[in-house]
Amino acid sequence: MSKAVDSRQFRTIDIDAYDEEAYQDDKSTDVTGSQEHSLQVSERAAQVKQLLNTSKCGDALTLALKDPPIGHLDASVKDQNYQTVMSVLKAFRTTDIDSAINSLSAPEVDVLMKYLYKGFSCSPDKAASLLLWHEKAVKKGGLGSIVRVMVDRKGV
Amino acid sequence: MPVVQQLFNEPISSHAFNADLSQVVVSNSSPNTHVMKKGPDGNYSVSNTLEQHLERVTSVDWAPTTNRIVTCAGDRNAYVWNYQEDTGSWKPCLVLLRINRAATFVRWSPQEDRFAVGSGARLLSICYFDPENNWWVSKHIKKPIRSTILCVSWHPSNHLIAVGSCDFKCRVFSAALKEMSDKPQTSTWMPKLSKFGTLLAEFDTNSGWVHGVHFSPSGTLLAWVAHDSSVNLVNSTNLEKVHTVHTSYLPYCCVLWLSEESIVVAGHSNSPDLYKVTPDKLEFGAKLDVKKQKSSNSNMSAMDRFKKLDVQGQAEEAATTLETTHANCITEIRSISTANNKVTKFSTSGKDGRLVVWELDNICSLIAGLQI
Repeated sequence: MSKAVDSRQFRTIDIDAYDEEAYQDDKSTDVTGSQEHSLQVSERAAQVKQLLNTSKCGDALTLALKDPPIGHLDASVKDQNYQTVMSVLKAFRTTDIDSAINSLSAPEVDVLMKYLYKGFSCSPDKAASLLLWHEKAVKKGGLGSIVRVMVDRKGV
Repeated sequence: MPVVQQLFNEPISSHAFNADLSQVVVSNSSPNTHVMKKGPDGNYSVSNTLEQHLERVTSVDWAPTTNRIVTCAGDRNAYVWNYQEDTGSWKPCLVLLRINRAATFVRWSPQEDRFAVGSGARLLSICYFDPENNWWVSKHIKKPIRSTILCVSWHPSNHLIAVGSCDFKCRVFSAALKEMSDKPQTSTWMPKLSKFGTLLAEFDTNSGWVHGVHFSPSGTLLAWVAHDSSVNLVNSTNLEKVHTVHTSYLPYCCVLWLSEESIVVAGHSNSPDLYKVTPDKLEFGAKLDVKKQKSSNSNMSAMDRFKKLDVQGQAEEAATTLETTHANCITEIRSISTANNKVTKFSTSGKDGRLVVWELDNICSLIAGLQI
């Protein structure tokens, strides 16, 4: 018997990568690293900061949740938008959260849910305040909004 | 009140009634399929067991006019069962599916001369009878389906088929077979005559597996439900516009048209919901699982309260009673009887092993102002 029998190398091969018929996500709708999209995100960050300074928290929230860079290949762009949204959520008083969420439309609640779950995984230290937002968002969006976060393959 | 029968203590994957509702064929999580007869008390009990499959039976269908049952299972096979009058048993006939993965879903076509089998082999098999060799042969539709097929629906014309699959798309194909001397007509779905397997329309559900798909009674509208908790509808006269309702409930698994204007969906929320269809939109109608409300705060004497506290540890009735008729996810919904082009009774079966028959007249009377 040859020495090759003892080798465990074959166990490290990712056999699914060689399967020609394996399902590949449709990448045609992905936002490529376009300059204008990252510009949009930076502009939004600045505008949101302004709105927060003038304590227009409700408007800041709506603006921050608009057009999220879903599927953007540049992680820093997604990160920046994520920080923008987190800064808005932090600026709210606990008593104002209810009315803020009620003024959001259904797609906006879905986007908010996506950021909340991103927050749970990226910033676990903020979990307490995020959970408060989550409870109120579920009251408005229902279990369906959570399901849509779970099935989302591209991530916000 | 919906008529509930606990058939098994394990999930029912599929069920189908015969033409006069005296019998129902049910598959649970085993390789055996059970044909059940309605007894004098109205309950169904096993009269025949169809044993041929080697793996769990995933789907069954009963062709009402020709009285044939088709079953498909995880052993990559399907069988067509013909009733033998003299012995009172069902005789299986082999189907050559030629798939290398489990079969997931099967449906007879409206004229019952062929049936479609969806499978995990990412292809759809349209099967028709070959009299020379006395078996059923299949033709495959493969491109561009890229993942497991979960559900299939035949168009009333008998040669168009809608397929919902795990690659997040709902597609419509032409299934006109030369071998069966089909003479398809052009329609809104097929503006020019297309050969077998041509993709006529494709709809994206944005990352949700398509669990259920159904053509409307006229065939002009197509509705499907996906795992992102959405209910979708498209009209063949305007294929660009897909009406979607992103619901706040758990995802639905199956869909049935009650009439040209209303659909009933059911799934992980354990209860059927009604959605209304108007020419310009799709909207939520009502939850169909209504129970007569029990009066909760009955006048309990102080003595009774303490007694209850002593025995149960709590004075109020805890929320341990089920609000829904089904105890688990509903996986299949079937139309049982129709009148005036509207479904009057439908049945649901689910993972709780229950078969429930719903009567729309009763439901309409319980929900004020509901019209199907």
